[in-house]
Parts: sequence; C-alpha cells; structure tokens
Amino acid sequence: MTVIESTSQVSAPQTDLPARTAASPGRLALRQFTKSPSGVAGACMLILIILVAVAGPSLYPVDPLDLVGAPFMPPDADAWFGTDYLGRDVLAGLIHGGRATLAVGAVAALITIVIGLVIGAVGGFFGGAIDATMVKITEFFQILPPLLFAMVLVTLFGPKLTTITLAIGGVSWTSVARLTRAEFMRLRDLDFVKASRAAGASNVNLILRVLLPNALPAVIVSATLAIGVAILFEGGLSFLGLGDPNVMSWGLMLGQNRNYILDAWWAVMFPGAAIFLAVLAISLVGDGLNDAINPRLRRRS
Amino acid sequence: MSMAEAIRGTGTREVLLDVNDLVVHFPAGRRHGKPSFVHAVDGVSFRVRRGTTFGIVGESGSGKSTTAQAVMRLVPATSGQIVFGNRDIAGLTGRSLREVRRHLQIVFQDPFSALNPRRRAGDQIREPLDLLGIGTRSERDERVRRLLAEVGLPPQAADLYPHQFSGGQRQRLCIARAMAPEPDLIVCDEAVSALDVAIQAQILNLLKRLQRERDLTYIFISHDLGVIQKFCDEVAVMYLGKIVEQAPAADIFAAPRHPYTWSLVAAAAPPGPMREDLKRRYLVKGDPPSPVDPPPGCRFAQRCPMAIEACSQRLPALDAIGPHHYVACHRAAELA
Amino acid sequence: MSALLEVDDLNVSMRNGSGRLVPVIEHLSFTVAPGQTLALVGESGCGKSMTALALMRLLPEDFVITSGRIVLEGRDVLALPPKEMRSLRGSAMSMIFQEPMTALNPLFTVGDQIGEVLRWHQGLDRAAARSRVIELLRAVQIPAAEQRIDAYPHQLSGGMRQRVMIAMALAGRPKLLIADEPTTALDVTVQAQIFDLLAELQRSTGTAILLITHDLGAVAELADEMLVLYAGRCIEAGASDTIVTAPRHPYTRGLLNCVPHLAIGEPPKPWVDLGEIPGMVPPLGARGADCAFLARCAQACDVCRAKPQPALESIAPDHAVSCWRKTELAA
Repeated sequence: MTVIESTSQVSAPQTDLPARTAASPGRLALRQFTKSPSGVAGACMLILIILVAVAGPSLYPVDPLDLVGAPFMPPDADAWFGTDYLGRDVLAGLIHGGRATLAVGAVAALITIVIGLVIGAVGGFFGGAIDATMVKITEFFQILPPLLFAMVLVTLFGPKLTTITLAIGGVSWTSVARLTRAEFMRLRDLDFVKASRAAGASNVNLILRVLLPNALPAVIVSATLAIGVAILFEGGLSFLGLGDPNVMSWGLMLGQNRNYILDAWWAVMFPGAAIFLAVLAISLVGDGLNDAINPRLRRRS
Repeated sequence: MSMAEAIRGTGTREVLLDVNDLVVHFPAGRRHGKPSFVHAVDGVSFRVRRGTTFGIVGESGSGKSTTAQAVMRLVPATSGQIVFGNRDIAGLTGRSLREVRRHLQIVFQDPFSALNPRRRAGDQIREPLDLLGIGTRSERDERVRRLLAEVGLPPQAADLYPHQFSGGQRQRLCIARAMAPEPDLIVCDEAVSALDVAIQAQILNLLKRLQRERDLTYIFISHDLGVIQKFCDEVAVMYLGKIVEQAPAADIFAAPRHPYTWSLVAAAAPPGPMREDLKRRYLVKGDPPSPVDPPPGCRFAQRCPMAIEACSQRLPALDAIGPHHYVACHRAAELA
Repeated sequence: MSALLEVDDLNVSMRNGSGRLVPVIEHLSFTVAPGQTLALVGESGCGKSMTALALMRLLPEDFVITSGRIVLEGRDVLALPPKEMRSLRGSAMSMIFQEPMTALNPLFTVGDQIGEVLRWHQGLDRAAARSRVIELLRAVQIPAAEQRIDAYPHQLSGGMRQRVMIAMALAGRPKLLIADEPTTALDVTVQAQIFDLLAELQRSTGTAILLITHDLGAVAELADEMLVLYAGRCIEAGASDTIVTAPRHPYTRGLLNCVPHLAIGEPPKPWVDLGEIPGMVPPLGARGADCAFLARCAQACDVCRAKPQPALESIAPDHAVSCWRKTELAA
C-alpha cells in the first residue's frame, strides 16, 4: 500500500482508502444491469424498435394513410406485410404508427411520473394535513376505473392524440404517487437527511437535492413499466374506436381492422405483434433495472 | 493541566448553551379515550460552557438523544427555552433558524445511514458551505480538502461515494461534515457506539484533538460509562426523560448519589471484588417502564431499592448537594 | 476430561463475485470442555460470527468450509446428513443472537415458539410443553411467566426478548450454547443482568458456552478460556485471566488498551489519548501469507516482514501466541 501525501500542514494520521476510483451508485447499477441477459435482450429489442420508428419513415417513405392498392392484399412482394381494409400499406402503418405509439407511451409515462412524484413527494415530505389531502386526492383517482375514465375524457374532448396522451397520463399516476410517498416517508427520518437539515438546507433543497435522488431508483422501475402500460392503454382506447383517426398508430390499425380478422389476419396480427414486442421489451428492461437497483439482490464482490 | 484544574477552569468560562425546562412530548395515540403522550423529555435544564464536553448518559428510552436533537431543533420542542449564545433559538423558524444552524452541528451514531448514499463524500462535506454561500467554489473545495486532512483522510476521498468507505472512515467523514461550517457546538449522538473498539479509540482521540485545536464544545451522548467518564467534563444522568443526577465527571463516578447512577456504575464497573459488592447492593432488576404517560412521583421509584412512600407521590427536584453536583432524589441527604 | 467440542484446522472461504475462493477463517483449532466457557474475541470482520455459523452448519450462501473437522461429543458434525444435523441443532447445540428484535417470529407468542422446540426435540404434547415452557421462562427470571407465555415478541422489552431467546436455546437441553454478542444490543443494566443469568444457568445446567464478543474486558470474568481472532486467524489463546492480565500479542494488548474502562473511586486523571490501533482489519481478499496484523503493528520488525504468519505456539502452559516476537515482547 502506498502512503498518500497530505495536502495540508495538519499532522493527522492518515487512513488508507479501500478503493481508489469513485463508483457511483448509478454506475454500479448500470454495470449490474449489463449482467442480466433478459434485461440486455429487452434493451436491444427496445433500441431496435425505437430505431425503426425514428429512422424507418425516411427509409420507407410510403404514407401510411395513402391507398396503395386493393384492400386485403395478402403479404407479397409488392406489399411485404399486405394491405388493410382500405388498401393501405400495413408495413408503412407499422413503421409510422410506431412513432405515434411510442410517443404516446413516453409522454403519457412522463405525465404519470411528474404528477405522481409531485403528489407523493409533497405528501410524504410534509406529512400531517398536507399528506392527508394528497392521499385523499390519490385515492379519488384510484377508485375511478382508469379505462372508463379515460374513455369519458377522450369522448368529451375529442379523439386527438394529445387528448389521449393526457387522459392516459392523468389516470395512471396513482401508483407512482403512492410509491414516492412511501419512499419519502422512509427516507425523511434517516440521519443524512437530518444532517442536511442541520447544515441549513431549506425544504425545497431537501426535497429536490437530498430526498428525490434517493427515491428515484424505486420510481424509475415503475416509470419504465408505465411506458408499457401507456402503450397498452393507447391500444385499448383505439381498439374501442377512440383512437385519433388522423394519426396512424398501432392501436388504430388494430381497432380499424379487428372486424376483418378472419379475412385478413395480417392487418391485425402485425400491429398486435408490434405492441406485444414493444411491451415485452419494456417489461424486460424494467425487470432488469429492478434487479440492478434493488440492493438486496446486489452482491458485493 | 490536571483534570481538576480543567474543571475549575471550565467553571469560569462563558455559558454557550443554556437549556431551560425543555419538554418534548410525542403523541402516542389515544388511551381510554384521552390522547396520550410519550414523555420523551420532561423538563430538562442544563448549561454547557464553551470549550467543554457535556456528557449525557442513560439507557434507551431515557430521552438523551431526543434532548440533543431538540437542542439542534431537529425535533420540535413542546416547551422550554434553548438559549444559544445570547438568544433563545427554541422559537426560530425559516431563515433565522437556518442561520443559527451553522453554529450547531451533529454527528450521528450510525455512520451508514448518516451519509447520503447518492452523493460523493466531498459534495456532502461541502454542502453546508454551499448552502451558506461561503467563498468561491474552488475555495470551498480547498476547505473540503483541509477538512479531510484534519480528520485523517486523503484528498482523493472527496471523489468517492459513501459505500466505498469503512465504518470508521465514514464517521470521519461525518465529523468533517459537521466541522465544515465552523460550528461552536457539536452534538455527538452515540457517535462512537456503532464502531469497533479499536476504531472507537481512534475517533475519540480525533474528537479530543479537534476540541483542543478549535475550542469546540461538545454535547456527548453515550450509554457507555467508561467512554463518558474518560471524555466528558460534566455529566448528566438521564432516566425516563429527566435528569436524575448531574456533576463533574470526576465526582459523579467517584461519589454517585442517585440510586440509579449507582446501579449504572455497578453494571459497568470493571470486574473485581468492588463490582461484586456494588452489584449486591445496587443493581436494579428488570427494564425501565414505558415513557408513555408516566405516573406521578419519581420516575425511578418503581425500580428503586430505596424507595419510600413519598417517592411515588412527589417528583423530586434537581437540587444542589455540593459544588456543581445536583441530585433529584428525596432521600439524597440520608443516602450519602 | 475429554472435550465436548473439538474444532481441528477449520478453514472457511467465501466465493467472491468472480467465483474465486477467498479465505475467511484460516487454520482455526480449539476445544471446549463440558460446562466451560470459551470466548471468541475480535473486531468485526475477524470471523467470529462465521465460526459460530460454521459450527451450526448455517453458513450463508457463498461461504464454504474448505477443510477441517468439527467434532461434537464424538460425532463428526461436518459428515452428518442434513436430517441428523437438524436434530442436532437445538438439542446438542443451540445459538442465541445479537439482535433479539429480529430473532423471534413476530406472528407467534413466545410460548408457541419455545413450545415448538420442545415438541420437535423432546416429543412433548401441548400441555406438557406448556408447563415446561413456564419452567423455562422462570429459569431465565422472567417475572409473571404464566402471563408472559402468551405475549407476542413486540409486547416485550429488549431484555425480556433476549431472555426468551435464551429460554428457547436452553429448551432442548443443549450441551453447547453459542452466544453471538448476546448483550451488544441491550442497555447497560440489562447487559449485566443477562451475563449474570448466563453464568447462573451454566452452573445449574452444566452447559458449555461459546461466547462471541468484541469486548475483551467485559467477558473476562465469565469466560474460562479465550481465543483472540484477527482477520480470520487465531493470534492468541489461553486462560482468560492470563490473557486479560498478561496479554502477549500486540493486537490483544491494543484491544485492551483502547477501551476506556470505568474507574471507580479514583482521583480524576487528565486526558491522555487512548491507545490506538491505527488502520483497520484488512478486508477479505487482501490477506496475504504474512502476519495479518503486520500493517497495523507498532512492534513489527524485519523478521515479521520477512516471514509468513507465525504458527500459534505455546509460551506457557495454557497460553499460546502467534507472533514472531513473542519472547522479546514479554512483560
């Protein structure tokens, strides 16, 4: 072991450090994540799907709303994935629809997390009457059947993609709020929070800089899964005829072609498979993250 | 300077902290329809002089940690005064409270939960400086390096995360963090209790050296009488939210006057004939009763081998029985 | 007198992240005579608790006994099939833990939990078990045993819970009781009561006790023999009086010097820095062939640096030390 030189005139006995390089908890979790085969497989799948959705439209510039041929053309050399009940190209729908579906999922999940974090953090941090109010609000949204409530919202405000996204986000934040609240209540009594308070940190400071980073790991997992849930939600709404007819999405393809499933399986099966794969990939990533972040499963070397 | 001189010397120094009739009650649900309270701290008064160490010893549930955290304003005081310097800080809120806090710092028992696992050690030591806006960023970083050196850690420690340190090193980090805003008073809340004996000695020596160099004042909380005797100038013994005896460290263990102090001393005495003798006479049986809605009278009456009728009816006051020696016992005069 | 427990050259290793075996306990040998108390002393990370768990064959996943023999009453513990091992635990040897809060099942009454042990090991029926439980609770000095038998763990204080743990450990009339830091989590006055209780129970039942502790001074009067562990190696062993009054190994001396013991009836002394052992116990995987204490030893000389870990050799009857300078460092 080498002796590390002191930078000051103080003659304190120096103790050796067990480690030389900083290992941030985030980086450790990432390293752990890469050791999970299913998590990595999910991440690869997800990256592939995102790449197709982002770059696909320029590589396959067919308008998904254009009628390119006769209706119900089975997959062949002209249209690899066939055409739907109006004669639109299914492959173009898959590629362009992926954009909308993933965007709805991501934005709705973001809304879910923001609302959930704010409600949960405020309630969990302050406790007392504020907490009781936050819990009541959460419970109010929890007892509403989410799909029905979202349907009501979409029916009221019209089937636009933004409305759909807001409706999905607005009904699914309760679990994130409960989780955040529980984490904040656990953390707020720990000594390091008291130490920060003793150092003169204000409440805003404590919430944003001390408690939130420590509560996030638990929330990240549920946020990841929220994207999958939002995609399923969009599919469900579209299936019930509440999708935005002007923007192609996987859910819309499902919803519009479901009556003809016996005549043209491809128009339903391909978007269905796309939704299935996307949600599966997100779930695998979520599970992998959970294992990586949950310290009980982490082994010390 | 001998300890006796040191004690005489401390008697003339300015009073830094004057706690007056501090009460901390926590609600404990309802019992028989009436709200009941945990009497964690029940009318505690003491003074701490600058540059000295004031020890509070007691068992779990005695309220020693709650007292310290109430002084730090980390738990709300139900009533009482906390005069720090020349002002009562018990009622301060918001900005003025945050400004007072730089003068009062705390080191906790568990070095594992006392550090934020997601921030680098250096950032955590710098936190109080950032919040106070002291100096430029590079000046603050330089101060962090100096603090690390003072607690015996190399400068590279600043970049590491808490989980990369051993328990003793984490406690050094906590001490560096507590010293960062150059406080007048540091509360050591069982600061060495969770450490291995060899590490405990290192930390005690470090705390003592820092006190000598910077004229720090400590409130030192522990259940270990050996450590308290060695480390403190003045000692208060707490039992169920009350101070039962208070005296200079030199006197309190040489001539304890409260039956509870006797039993603590008997339990912690080194093996030998003296301990056997003490144990036969004074060792209490059983566990302390619950601090929820305690009965009237002396808190120790139920377990006290010397209790008389008056003990369970009237609460004894903390009276002086000698210079700087205070006892709360109805029979203090007879039991000398 | 033949030994009750004989541990011969025990080696325990841990499999680390990359699957390599890292030694945790090395070449540990000791014996416990019937009715005697042996104390295992050392800082955390020295392998005290792992030794206890190895004896019970309750080592956590990733820890393996790589070699050595553990013989209890003539039976080779390491060779026993799992079923016989289970019946051995709780009857021939039992264990009490540091944390009485988590060592009891919160969903059952203490009577149920102690009674269960009796029904397993002694085949008692419910009524017989219940009356025996009350006897046991009385033996560990729990007041109002008839009422406390139906209490749940959360209704008891820490000291009471530790008494319940002791009653449970003694239910199977073990020959050997392993006590892993039994008083560390308890208050001072309660600690003294538990130590007294253990000593008294040992007198009345004749159980041998293996006491694991980090506080050398506190156990001196309770233990007959003592074993000081450092970094998984035994560095000093012998009669506990000898070790406390005339420690030979620098580490043992350091351990004794760094604890401020309460002095009664003495004139006040000025502050003198406590004896310090600089540094810390080398972590697993960083323990080489040379003397494990070398890096922290103030007495280390060229011999110590040149040679490997010294063998544990006798310097007097019933006193052995593992130190190259054992003869020079006398007195």
